[in-house]
Amino acid sequence: MRDVYIASSSMINVDRHFNRGYKELAGVVVKDVIEGASVEQPDYIVVSSMFAESSLNQLDLATILTQHLGLKPVPAIRVDTGESSGLAAVEIAYSLITAGRADTVLVVGVEKATEFPTRVTNRFLSKVLDYEVEVLRNITPPNYAALIMKEYMKRYRVSREELTIWPVKMHENALRNPYAQLKFKITPSKVLNAIKISEPITLYDMFPIGDGAAALILASSKVARKSGREVLLVRDVVSATSRPLYLRDDITRFESIATLISMLRRKYGFRIDDAVYEIHDSYSIYAYIILEELGIARRGASYKEVENLVYVNVSGGLKARGHPFGATGVYQVSEVYNIMVKGAGGVRFDGTFGLTHSMSGPDYNSRLCLLERVV
Amino acid sequence: MDAGIVGWGVYIPRKRIKVKEIAELWGFDTGLVNSLRMEEKSVADIDEDSVTMGWYAAKVAIDRGGVNPSEIGAIFFGTESKPYAVKPSATIIGDALGISRRKLSSDLEFACRAGGEGLRISISLISSKAVKYSLAIGSDTAQANPGDVLELTASSGAAAFLIGPEREAIAVFEGAVTYVTDTPDFWRRDCSRYPSHGEIFTGEPAYFDHIVNSVNILLTDLGLKESDFKYVIFHQPNGKFPLQVGKLLGFPKEKVLPGLVTPMIGNTYNASALIGFARVLEQARAGDRILLVTFGSGAGSDAFSIVVKEGIEQVASRGPTVNELLERKVYVSYSSYAKSRRLIERSIGW
Amino acid sequence: MRSSISIFWRKKDSYYKVLLTRCKRCGRASFFARDVCPYCGSSDVSIVESSGRGRVVSYTVSYFRTDSNEEYLPLIIALVRLDEGVYVTGELRDVEPAEVREGMEVETVLRRYSSDDPYGLIYYGLKFIPVIKRG
Repeated sequence: MRDVYIASSSMINVDRHFNRGYKELAGVVVKDVIEGASVEQPDYIVVSSMFAESSLNQLDLATILTQHLGLKPVPAIRVDTGESSGLAAVEIAYSLITAGRADTVLVVGVEKATEFPTRVTNRFLSKVLDYEVEVLRNITPPNYAALIMKEYMKRYRVSREELTIWPVKMHENALRNPYAQLKFKITPSKVLNAIKISEPITLYDMFPIGDGAAALILASSKVARKSGREVLLVRDVVSATSRPLYLRDDITRFESIATLISMLRRKYGFRIDDAVYEIHDSYSIYAYIILEELGIARRGASYKEVENLVYVNVSGGLKARGHPFGATGVYQVSEVYNIMVKGAGGVRFDGTFGLTHSMSGPDYNSRLCLLERVV
Repeated sequence: MDAGIVGWGVYIPRKRIKVKEIAELWGFDTGLVNSLRMEEKSVADIDEDSVTMGWYAAKVAIDRGGVNPSEIGAIFFGTESKPYAVKPSATIIGDALGISRRKLSSDLEFACRAGGEGLRISISLISSKAVKYSLAIGSDTAQANPGDVLELTASSGAAAFLIGPEREAIAVFEGAVTYVTDTPDFWRRDCSRYPSHGEIFTGEPAYFDHIVNSVNILLTDLGLKESDFKYVIFHQPNGKFPLQVGKLLGFPKEKVLPGLVTPMIGNTYNASALIGFARVLEQARAGDRILLVTFGSGAGSDAFSIVVKEGIEQVASRGPTVNELLERKVYVSYSSYAKSRRLIERSIGW
Repeated sequence: MRSSISIFWRKKDSYYKVLLTRCKRCGRASFFARDVCPYCGSSDVSIVESSGRGRVVSYTVSYFRTDSNEEYLPLIIALVRLDEGVYVTGELRDVEPAEVREGMEVETVLRRYSSDDPYGLIYYGLKFIPVIKRG
């Protein structure tokens, strides 16, 4: 199995890009990332775009994008794992290189979430749940976040007010991220009094709707060294599927994450306190649980540690950097890459590991990407 | 005839609106509300319709009767507010309740007496032994043009009766008569949302004439008179007409009041007389004779004579009663009622 | 047109009744009729009809607007533990949000899930309401 490196990364600011379509957004980051890696052309292109069929009326978006970018006859493939598609794209790219099937893989995550009014977009994004069992019966993702939040508050005797710390911190972090969608401070009171989505979840507990694009060049050793810049090893990308919520024994647990982090610790000697993280905080309550499942904080007490976290979601996370669905997983890897290689958002991490976590729904699937600095 | 009631069930939606609030909005003197003897009416919620209400009433009827749904050989759905102009509601309820696929099944229309027609057909099917059990449902989310006097009474509800052979029944049909003429007192054209009516014409030439006729023919046929009956239930478009027609026929109001529910829930059209009848069954004793009279515009009236058997209290206790459903209520404003009943709604399109 | 006829029709027993999948291999029961156990993957399963009665474990009042559910908002989604010990998530109706209590007894009734528009197919299915009559 060959080593895989990140040779370059690129992203654009997350925003409502009304005057640019997915081809234009992707075009910007693809050009940038290919130049950055000093390659002619990738051997393979892996694309992630959660709303391709729904919003964009486009099947096989990877092929159409590749045709448009003039990168033929490069093979292209689109990956769908719901909200974690971006990291799944990295996972596929990683697998292609490590198996020796490609030397240079372009990963592109691109999302246009603003092509339709919010209520239509909300219907589209609800499709990450089981259509026959959940969606058809009027259940939507924020409902699950709400049920989980209530159970968590009850189990650990945590107040609604105490759980406002996460969004507040994310907005603070985003002030230093030029790519973030939301760049304004918020207070606990603003979180509590924001528009109710599915009580007790308010608008400020969840991601904004925005467009974005991010890209990476993953490369084998011989290609990576050629770029001449410091490179980061992609140690592994692992994923798992969890049961639907109503089949869980404990709805405050995200079992897939626990399984995956345990695997990474065993296999690669991953150390929790020697890492910089980007986690999938689609809802603030999920952030608390993710921190606990990763072992960064004690169960039921993560809200107490949020203030002290320096190396978690420096970008502002899904809450403030934004969640351009299919692109998010690629943003996260790009952000960790930047923090480790040159510093970003006023933070530079000189330690060993970078860990990104991407997830769909309430941990219907979770994926972890372990990056490691090589000397 | 060899047929009787094996089980019965009723559904009344939870929401209510005070009739005076409707009157005040549209500039009716509230004295009119008093003269109609109306207090409040039931309002089906936005996710309810005649099918969902009919389902509940039918389920209670089947459970109350202790019958295996796979033995039911016919289901009739009497309504004038079908969700589909074409596509039977009866089949939805049939499959949802596990009723046999080998069955007669149809939605019936005859304004407010289609439920009654379903009873007549059921009795005949059972008496002729064509089927073992037959389910007759009357269910409506009654329509009324906003601002029309009908809006003071039109409401939502359902009732269902499981008819079976006499030996299994808890109340037995002694006789039934239906009297029908072409009398256009009230109608709703295809594609029209709300009905039109002849106002006072709906009284004497329609409601009163047909009811008096069906009752008189029945009493003559069976050799019975007013004093033979403990209770009489009439179709009840408001709280006043049943007392008036009762008086015309010589029935004292004490016999009419137990089955008079319209003042509390409004006119549920096809469930109107039937909910009143269910309420009477839930307080009747063995040996009581009951006169049940329906009326449907267009126009026609059924008159049934029913005799209650031993053990009815036990059967009544096996399911939610009319009184329990009457007690289950919450008041809503006119705007909430207008939204629930789709008097106001978002148009389709962007 | 967003609502398929066949997708709903073939599973209508699961919408019209509360059906559980009981696995003979692992012994667990789960919500919705399936031909495979969602816990262990065995196809040695049988379908059982639940009474549809249970108790509310948790609930949320939802204002999350989609162009399928708009007219039903706000709606309540509840996590219910059926008497059979199986958990279900579903809509809870006929109750004011302030009246919902954990442990509240509920039963299932047929209601409309959705309808694309006034001309489209209506999807009917069971939802929870507070029990009308005990036992």
